[in-house]
Amino acid sequence: MSVWNWLRSRIARVAIWRRRDRDAEVERELEAHLELESEEQRDSGVPPEEARPAARRAFGNTTRVQEDVREIWSAIWLERFAHDVRYAARSLRKSPGFAAVAILTLALGIGANTAIFSAIDALMLRPLPFTAADQLVRIYSIQKGMFNTFANPDGPSALDVRDFAQRSRSFQNMVAYDTWAKNVSFGESAGRPEQMEVGLVPAAYFEILGIRPIIGRLFSEDENEEGKNYVAAISAQLWRNRFDDDPSVLGRKIRINGEAYSIVAVMPNVIPAWVEPGRHSEIWTPFPYSPDMWAESGRGERGYAALARLKPGVSVEQAQADLSVIAAALAAEHPVDDGVGVAVKRLADSRVGALRPMLYLLMGAVSLILLIACVNLANLLLARNLARQRELAVRAALGAGRSGLVRQLLAETLLLSLIGGAVGFGCAQIGLTALARMHPENLPQLRSVGIDWRVLTFTLLVSLVTSLLFGLAPAFMGTRLNLVDALKQGGRSGMSGRSSQRVRSLLVITEMAMCLMLVVGASLLIRSIIRLEGQNLGIRQDHLLRGRIYLPPVRYSNPGVRTRFCDDFGTRVRAVPGVTGATVTTVYPPNNGWTQMLVIPGHPVTRLQDVPSAQFGVVDQHFLRTLGIPLLRGRDFAEPDNATSPPVALISKEFKRRYFATEDPIGRKIHIGPPQLPGIAVEENITDDVDVTIIGIIDDFKNAGLAHAPQPQITVLYSQHPLVNGGFKDILVRTASEPHAVESEIRSQLRALDSDVPLAEVQTIDELVERSTGGRRFTTVLLASFAVAGLALAVVGIYGVVSSLVAQRKQEMAVRMALGASHGNVLWLVLKHGLKMAVIGAAIGLCGAGAAQKFTAGLLYGISPLDPLTFAGAPVFLLAVAAIACAIPGARVLQIDPAQALRQD
Amino acid sequence: MPTNKTPNRTGLLQGTLDMLILRTLLFGPAHGHQIAKHIQRTTDEVLQVEHGSLYPALHRMERKGWIVAKWEMAKDRNREFKYYRLTPGGKKQLVRERSRWKQLAAAVATMLRPVRGD
Repeated sequence: MSVWNWLRSRIARVAIWRRRDRDAEVERELEAHLELESEEQRDSGVPPEEARPAARRAFGNTTRVQEDVREIWSAIWLERFAHDVRYAARSLRKSPGFAAVAILTLALGIGANTAIFSAIDALMLRPLPFTAADQLVRIYSIQKGMFNTFANPDGPSALDVRDFAQRSRSFQNMVAYDTWAKNVSFGESAGRPEQMEVGLVPAAYFEILGIRPIIGRLFSEDENEEGKNYVAAISAQLWRNRFDDDPSVLGRKIRINGEAYSIVAVMPNVIPAWVEPGRHSEIWTPFPYSPDMWAESGRGERGYAALARLKPGVSVEQAQADLSVIAAALAAEHPVDDGVGVAVKRLADSRVGALRPMLYLLMGAVSLILLIACVNLANLLLARNLARQRELAVRAALGAGRSGLVRQLLAETLLLSLIGGAVGFGCAQIGLTALARMHPENLPQLRSVGIDWRVLTFTLLVSLVTSLLFGLAPAFMGTRLNLVDALKQGGRSGMSGRSSQRVRSLLVITEMAMCLMLVVGASLLIRSIIRLEGQNLGIRQDHLLRGRIYLPPVRYSNPGVRTRFCDDFGTRVRAVPGVTGATVTTVYPPNNGWTQMLVIPGHPVTRLQDVPSAQFGVVDQHFLRTLGIPLLRGRDFAEPDNATSPPVALISKEFKRRYFATEDPIGRKIHIGPPQLPGIAVEENITDDVDVTIIGIIDDFKNAGLAHAPQPQITVLYSQHPLVNGGFKDILVRTASEPHAVESEIRSQLRALDSDVPLAEVQTIDELVERSTGGRRFTTVLLASFAVAGLALAVVGIYGVVSSLVAQRKQEMAVRMALGASHGNVLWLVLKHGLKMAVIGAAIGLCGAGAAQKFTAGLLYGISPLDPLTFAGAPVFLLAVAAIACAIPGARVLQIDPAQALRQD
Repeated sequence: MPTNKTPNRTGLLQGTLDMLILRTLLFGPAHGHQIAKHIQRTTDEVLQVEHGSLYPALHRMERKGWIVAKWEMAKDRNREFKYYRLTPGGKKQLVRERSRWKQLAAAVATMLRPVRGD
């Protein structure tokens, strides 16, 4: 209340101040007049000493004039406004039920909008936490005809970045960097390591972002050389968690992949997770440039993250034009760069990423909710103003002008909106906190969502606009008074009937239309997520656990050692009680991510784009059995296939369809690696100069993500391919019962082999699938709850209109019944009115949903944005709900006793 | 909030004073004294403008936006007066008032026309 009192005293003070000013001015004006008057008196012969009193007499009562003038000016708008608001508060207090319903409806609408807007604010509007952040850009490579497009670009190669930096004129600085999962342990000696993301960054990375160490120093230039790179920077977060903010941390050692790095800097916690290509890094080491990194063969090795700072005054478009010219020149110089372009994008724009269409969709949905809420309130107010017609008429009769009445009614809606906005703001705050807690890993961007002044302004604006939206029409309609009619005791308000009923029907039609759009959108999303998650991965999905290991090159430099380790690990895990199968592999559904170029006899190529390629994986002999992938023809890998026997491969059905359409592939040889083409050095890719013999065809499984059809797959044994037998491997374990139950036993088996190798990211395949659909699931849940909210509001709306219709036409119904209409006839009369509104609304809504398809299209899977079943089912559903909402007040018609109803009037 | 509570002690029909003031200001800006004198002169001293109603009327019209006021130095003497001048809204109002007045005058004239057979 103190705020209110303060406001009131301010208003009063302003009013008084202005009044004093005005009084002085009037006095001065009258004084001037009197002076002229007395001059005239003098001129007409009155003696000077009598002239002044004579003038005063002629003028009359000056005090009276001053009072009259003061009266004219006294009702300044601020006073009047305060008065209106006070009156509005009083009248709302008198009808607490109405006020509560209105405020809750508004809180729902405004709260939902505030919540979604704060996500948009955090992901698209809020400035980045870096100095002169609008100069920061990311640089991507765009390759024609490959997976990466402008929508899904790839990173450039280190050589690209070097050449871009040397030849361009648009940038202050440019850097290529990367993030790797590594085994990290703290302390000098080998301890229990864990897998962590380690950023590989030159000092320029921090310089470009404008970040200084809290303590310590940035990496020096020669620390980027291999061998001198054993220094690390840690985040302030890590400093607190592991070293208790101890300033003597500098010089201490951490072990990364079994090698000791000394800490040289503590960096502030300002780099958001989405800036780094993998997940959030807490440790950074220099980017060790091995000498062969600058060899021409590395030109095609793309996929690094690249960050740059523009020179002041250079626009992104200018930088893009600059780099495009350079990329074209590089493509002309180096055949491997043929068809490779470049894209410069604002760092701030990369923040929202794939969430952009989701946010737009949700913003659209909450706008609809707010509109529906407004429509309901407009309806409610129309009814309320009708009921208050006598009150309004009395006030008009007592001299209140129409503008005064409208202002009064608008003050009421404004007050409602502001209170509703405040409540909604609170709800949004609570909801966001809950969401942030629910959804930490999948959408790291959402962690930064919160309330700031922009969100506050938004809420305030929305509240104001809302109050006009739902208040204006009812206020004008409510004040279109016919005084005589309205004041007549018991008079049936003639006007109230027709025109306001028509407006209310129109409002309900709008509401139905918007509600249908929400229902269509939500059911499309729900159906696509069901399809997406219910998808056949091509394996036995249940009871399958995944864990990742990394064998650091220091101790596992020899492929033979790696093979032995992996084989031993698999054997040990298979012996664990409760485990029915286990395989060490690099490939499993739903995503593989390792594409390999191949040479296939009968497929001669001359251009890079035409080189056959397939999803590639290295596995052990237990791969098919553990995953449950059916073998269609030929034989599975077997024990005799080992490092010394001839290399063999399994191909998928899709592989055969693509590359051996007409011939039998079994027994054919293919070469793993790119063909000899000008510009492609053989050693450039991770390749293998051994040819493999195809021994079997396996069924397709999902290897390019849930939403995509299986791509050609080729699988070989790691034991037979030392060059592609890397340190990163996954183990898949089939269990008899609950998969996580064997997790600790698997860990201890791994520890028994090497206590320095951690088991990371342990998850079941079910969990993996669920996580990969996290973003969609999140959108779907939100949209579905919005649709439910919209539906509830629309039902309330149609119910209200039909009830008031029944109340108003009670006598008419009674007459009809007295004249012989059956209950059914009369009930149909009521239902017909409600259903007519619903049908028209649904028809409009269908058009709206059709027009809005571009918002949903990007989020759907396996279902057309104009899916006929949804477009037919949603209106039927809506009509059914509307019919029920109409039938309840309609049933009241049945209780009408004609004799009684007619006597009432 | 009642807006037209100003006492009407003009002795003229309501609205007439407003019309006369607007009409006066049509010739150019003037201060209160000049307006009063001008109305008296142009109506051959028939209409005495009471100062007690002139100033409230001026302020009311200023508030309604028909006229604006400004303190200015008079040309013939060394003194500031509050000069009122017509706004576009005021000009429109004058047209309205004038046609209303004509209607009223015509109506009154019809009433007072000698009845046939009188």
